[in-house]
Amino acid sequence: MIVLDKVDKVFPGSTIPAVKQVSFQIDEGNICVFVGPSGCGKTTILRMINRLVEPTGGEIYIKGKKVSDKEVNPDELRREIGYVIQQIGLMPHRTVEQNVALVPRLLKWPEEKINPRVKELLETVGLDAEEVLKKYPYQLSGGMMQRVGVARALAADPPIMLMDEPFGAVDPIVRGRLQDEFLRLQKELKKTICFVTHDINEAIKMGDHIVIMNKGALVQHGTPMEILSNPANDFVKDLIGTEREIKLLELTKSEELVTRTRDMPERIIEKDCFILAIDPVQRALETMMKKNSDVVGVRDGTEIIGTISWEDIKRHINMISGDD
Amino acid sequence: MDFEMERFMTALLDRSPPHALEHLQLVLIPVVIAFLIAFTAAMLLTRERYVKYTDRVMTIFNIGQTIPPLAVIAVFFPFLGLGREPALFALTIYALLPIARNTLAGLKGVPGDVKEAARGMGMTEWEMLFKVEIPLSMPVVMAGIKISVVLTSGTAALGALVGGGGMGAVIFAGIDFFRAELIIAGTIIIGVIAITLDRLLTVIDNILTPQHMKV
Repeated sequence: MIVLDKVDKVFPGSTIPAVKQVSFQIDEGNICVFVGPSGCGKTTILRMINRLVEPTGGEIYIKGKKVSDKEVNPDELRREIGYVIQQIGLMPHRTVEQNVALVPRLLKWPEEKINPRVKELLETVGLDAEEVLKKYPYQLSGGMMQRVGVARALAADPPIMLMDEPFGAVDPIVRGRLQDEFLRLQKELKKTICFVTHDINEAIKMGDHIVIMNKGALVQHGTPMEILSNPANDFVKDLIGTEREIKLLELTKSEELVTRTRDMPERIIEKDCFILAIDPVQRALETMMKKNSDVVGVRDGTEIIGTISWEDIKRHINMISGDD
Repeated sequence: MDFEMERFMTALLDRSPPHALEHLQLVLIPVVIAFLIAFTAAMLLTRERYVKYTDRVMTIFNIGQTIPPLAVIAVFFPFLGLGREPALFALTIYALLPIARNTLAGLKGVPGDVKEAARGMGMTEWEMLFKVEIPLSMPVVMAGIKISVVLTSGTAALGALVGGGGMGAVIFAGIDFFRAELIIAGTIIIGVIAITLDRLLTVIDNILTPQHMKV
């Protein structure tokens, strides 16, 4: 869907490239997260995809078409790509309705099509449309503004979304909720999303695919599981931090570890020590600690399918994390 | 100088009105022309490719305001002679700076994230200017126009010295003939003109700008 081929960017007046020789591919319907410290070039890559920044070398293709092609008008290109930034950038002199309707109006949609679309979108991102339509951005909370920002980017139903730390400006609780809601939304919308963050935990949570950048170069890319279980170098290890094993357990579904058995130890049933097959393995650990047990039962819906023991988890961590 | 109420009323009600109309023109024409010039200049100077000329152009506007209008008339006397035109010309130069400075400040003050989002969503440069930059800088621009109007209202009194008419004609007659009534009547009317125009612009500003965006 989106292909970068040896993309370079050297900003005028600078000798050090902001982005150097970056190549990778984002598949349709995937969330690809760029992660790395500030100044690593992740935002520059994002802004090159919609030509807010022009690469100094290499090519970017969207659906097989060069974005740098002379026939591509950058303004028209951007109208086909949703764009969400950390500071949101809502128009302070326009109501929520006018903000969300911005791109449809640029695209000259008929008004009778715009109104229902705006309402539908506001409801989609979890806002009460009637309540906020006529409000100005300053009357909204930070979380509500972010939702309006996402609604605005989705307005013209672009197949691609670029999101630059979209949930960076809100407190951790609201951020977690926005992330969850966005992931649920994405299941229906199946957009191709480029997502920039400096937070590796957000990357692991949101990403189908993670691209790790440092000093303008691509360090490692792969699924969250691949990156957690096999970090390419010390930089990636540092970025992941100390809780690598815990993060791996968050990504592993319990059903992958379950020892299938119908034979439940008595203490599990007594203490009601059960988790669901779709829960992450981390939930098994939490349950063990809470119920003071070294084994939990696993259910698929109402049906009991097996157990996970402390030993199973230890063995799993040793296997996937590779070292010792 | 003595003061007679009857003479004052005559000066205020009979003698002043035609001059007040001239005076209004001496204010409005220069301010409108200055607005067109200053606004265009400030708009261009905030475009990426012209930013480098900002300092030079603003210096010219600054000089325009430091030179007394009378000196401008004196300098351009050989080309423009005496009368209404040189007065309008000098006042226009004088009115430029506050509008240019405020328009520039207003356009520069548009938040970067709003512009970034607007561009990212595919607004053309013109759409950005008319839908984002100008509306958001409007309160500051209007403040500049108001300063310019009040300033020009006072300065326009000097127009009479070169035969440009206006309330200055009444005031200077008062000075020449030691008639306090004329001086006071002329001053009051200039004040009324300045305040009325300022209020009028405030009303326009209120219509153009949403309540929460006021400076």
